Amino acid sequence: MGGFDWEVIRTSLPYLFKVGMVFTLTLTVLAMAGGIVFGTLLAMMRVSGLRSLGLLAGTYVNLMRSIPLVLVIFWFFFLVPYIGAWILREPRPIPVGTFYSALITFTMFEAAYYCEIMRAGIQSIPRGQVWSGFALGLGYWQTMGHIVLPQAFRNMLPVLLTQTIILFQDTSLVYVISATDFLGAASKIANRDYRLVEMYSFVAVVYFILSFGLSLLVRRLQVRIAVVR
Amino acid sequence: MPDAMISIRNLSKWYGAFQVLTDCSTQIAKGEVVVVCGPSGSGKSTLIKCVNGLEAFQKGEVVVDGISVGGPKTDLPKLRSRVGMVFQHFELFPHMSVIRNLTLAQEKVLHRSPKDANEKGMKLLERVGLAAHSGKFPAQLSGGQQQRVAIARALSMDPIAMLFDEPTSALDPEMINEVLDVMVALAKDGMTMMVVTHEMGFARKVAHRVIFMDQGQIVEDCSKDEFFGKPRSERAQLFLSKILQH
Ligand SMILES: Nc1ncnc2c1ncn2[C@@H]1O[C@H](COP(=O)(O)OP(=O)(O)OP(=O)(O)O)[C@@H](O)[C@H]1O
Ligand SMILES: [Mg+2]
Repeated sequence: MGGFDWEVIRTSLPYLFKVGMVFTLTLTVLAMAGGIVFGTLLAMMRVSGLRSLGLLAGTYVNLMRSIPLVLVIFWFFFLVPYIGAWILREPRPIPVGTFYSALITFTMFEAAYYCEIMRAGIQSIPRGQVWSGFALGLGYWQTMGHIVLPQAFRNMLPVLLTQTIILFQDTSLVYVISATDFLGAASKIANRDYRLVEMYSFVAVVYFILSFGLSLLVRRLQVRIAVVR
Repeated sequence: MPDAMISIRNLSKWYGAFQVLTDCSTQIAKGEVVVVCGPSGSGKSTLIKCVNGLEAFQKGEVVVDGISVGGPKTDLPKLRSRVGMVFQHFELFPHMSVIRNLTLAQEKVLHRSPKDANEKGMKLLERVGLAAHSGKFPAQLSGGQQQRVAIARALSMDPIAMLFDEPTSALDPEMINEVLDVMVALAKDGMTMMVVTHEMGFARKVAHRVIFMDQGQIVEDCSKDEFFGKPRSERAQLFLSKILQH
């Protein structure tokens, strides 16, 4: 095996970060944004009091939460080209590429988790807030958009960010569809140069620093929000 | 009464099998101030929320300014925008400044320009003595101040009538009067008001009529003088004697 080779890490830094980490962070941020939007819509369906809507959203959420993420990633990767072809009425499967396939997967998957967070957030807003919005003549969407959701989002911000840290780590699972995310990039170099120990240790350290640093920030944010309320 | 602003006819409401309101009927004329009182759980809040359609009802009719609240074609948001409501727990929007609380619905519902809405809002804050606090957030104000902001917010929509649901019962005693003063001034200005309250001093001062509710029914509906002179029902007498002890 030989000694720990720092050099391989140093020379692969540009590739690891400019290609791998950019992929990972872009995927994380876009899936978070999409997941929160979609998850909030699901949450609104679940609290709407309309049975059919609630059942639909509930089924979706429970389904997503009961299947291993790796399976969903695989499944979407092979299915999305066919679904795309079906929607666009093309005779052949449409190549989507690993990035967009992963983005769609993570958005759909994380939406189930963001949904439950936003649902708790919405339910934490006193009924009187909705009443006072309605009493002023605001409609359902106005009351949601101006009064309920901003407060729910704000109250749940620490939890939403914590979920995003989990998402950030979970994106490494895209290696199963051979995407070049941070882990994927490292693993390619590890296998090329037979430097598994160095590369996987380095990857672990980077994931730890970023995740732990972010969770410290979230904790500080939590304290601030608690004081303002 | 032809010029009734609020007219409630044979209103009944159930929560599942539990009947909250039983055959309630009353009328409130334009400019009239009516106090609604009664023991806890008697249905006062439910009744007042039926007036602007915050609660649905199964039987009877509520008509506000000629418009049926339960009607299938009624534009409820529009109707509600014309009826002000003040809640026991203020229900200011905690994530908005005081002035934004007053301008939001003016802009989104009445489509007033931000400038007009702001002017109107400031004028009303001045009227309730809180212009200096316009930039603060609700949590920075005392309970009494918050409730005065809530009244100003309701007034910013130029309502044709005002509903109050126990506006002072969540307040510390020393803050009750500052809110009642605003309400008394409003009543003297000729506002049509339906007020759920146990503040009998307020009722004595400005109410025209008093409604007494018990177990979902309107037990007494009479002029203030009649009510304070000698309520006809035993339950109202008992209730009054309890309330007036302190
Ligand atoms: N959403 C609900 N579901 C079932 N029962 C309800 C609901 N809201 C109110 N009730 C019941 O209806 C009855 C009347 O309630 P309401 O709030 O109108 O009384 P109230 O006279 O305003 O009492 P309080 O003085 O305590 O405010 C009570 O017995 C209450 O428990
Ligand atoms: Mg009540």
